[in-house]
Amino acid sequence: MCLAIPAKVCEFLENKRVMVDITGVKREADTSLLEDQLEIGDYVLIHTGFIIAKLDPKQAQEDLKLWDEILSS
Amino acid sequence: MAEPTKVYRNKKIVDSLIKKIKEESEKTEEKIRIMHVCGTHEHDLVKAGLRSLLPKNIELIAGPGCPVCVSSAQDVDEVLWIADNHNTTITTFGDMMRVPGSSESLYQAQGRGIDVRIVYGVSDAITIAENSPEKDVIFFSVGFETTSCVTAAEVVRTTLPNFSIYSSHKVIPPAMELLVQRDDLEFQGFLAPGHVSTIIGSKPYEFIPEKYNFPVAISGFEPVDILMGIHSLILQINANSPRVDNTYGRWVKPEGNTAALRTIDDAYVISEARWRGLGVWPATGHEISDKYSHIDAKKKYDIPELEFKELHSGCICDEILIGKTKPNECQLFMKACRPDHPVGACMVSHEGTCNVAATYEEIQWED
Repeated sequence: MCLAIPAKVCEFLENKRVMVDITGVKREADTSLLEDQLEIGDYVLIHTGFIIAKLDPKQAQEDLKLWDEILSS
Repeated sequence: MAEPTKVYRNKKIVDSLIKKIKEESEKTEEKIRIMHVCGTHEHDLVKAGLRSLLPKNIELIAGPGCPVCVSSAQDVDEVLWIADNHNTTITTFGDMMRVPGSSESLYQAQGRGIDVRIVYGVSDAITIAENSPEKDVIFFSVGFETTSCVTAAEVVRTTLPNFSIYSSHKVIPPAMELLVQRDDLEFQGFLAPGHVSTIIGSKPYEFIPEKYNFPVAISGFEPVDILMGIHSLILQINANSPRVDNTYGRWVKPEGNTAALRTIDDAYVISEARWRGLGVWPATGHEISDKYSHIDAKKKYDIPELEFKELHSGCICDEILIGKTKPNECQLFMKACRPDHPVGACMVSHEGTCNVAATYEEIQWED
């Protein structure tokens, strides 16, 4: 139920909606629940048609670094 | 193209993490039990075969994290009462269709002519209402914070006179507190749900280490994500230094999704909630606020007090839901109760503990 799918923002539409690409499938998503500014190419999480989170690429990189540290310790 | 998930499924990283977890687990002779409270965790970790990869002294327990499974028969009965007594279309998530009510499910009711339709989300239900102004459309909404914020977005902006919402939404942190307090459950840490946490952030879990000296790790859903969470919990347990560790930081901010939280606060009030077979748990529900009573199906229709039955004969979903008993210990499992013929709610959803166990045969429940 709490399944959320990562997608890529590919087009801005009217009424706070965007077109997202989910592994090649395009569908509309509602941005009403997101405060963050979106840009084309941002990764977002979609849940039942709404964007609920935007990926923090810097943090994603940090996580990868952290793994390296853990795994090489 | 979606988020580059490949790295989170990398076998080399998975193997290294398993090795690290094994090393840590050997530092204690005690059994380490970790509870997750998310149906997606149960589904994804079993699908990835993670239980069988973990050291023998680590046990992953499935808590009450499947919202479909925890929905009370009373809720199904009340929605069906509305459908039986008013000219309505019931809309809901596909997973809810076969959840047993006291005497029938929505799917069975559909068979006798009740208009029930599966929707992807609340917005599709609203589209149905717009297209059929002569009929009342009810959205039977279940889910934890991930879903309740989406429903909330429509609660605060929809004014269609023929549309209402029956909220069966639940709130997870207070439920986690009730689980920690139970004497009949023995576990040492919580794997907190990643997608709920994108909404609520990491702060609402902080009382768990502070008040109960109990470790929490927020985790995502890919194999590496889940193992990172487990690794964090074992480090915390071994060092006896509980905290809330956010291992899903690429999606989860400490403060969560503030816009979604504001919408939730506006749309709902915290209420008690009935969990299937587990009784009424205080402060674990989201009821629609009086401010939006025009959209609240529970207020719009004068639902009488109905007698209800949570568990059918022999069903132990109440014990399965809190990880007290495992699916294969239920006498109905894969006999009377199967994915194609569920007796209990845990066998219905693809995230239900029994359905997951039935679907992925390689699952290794420990003796």
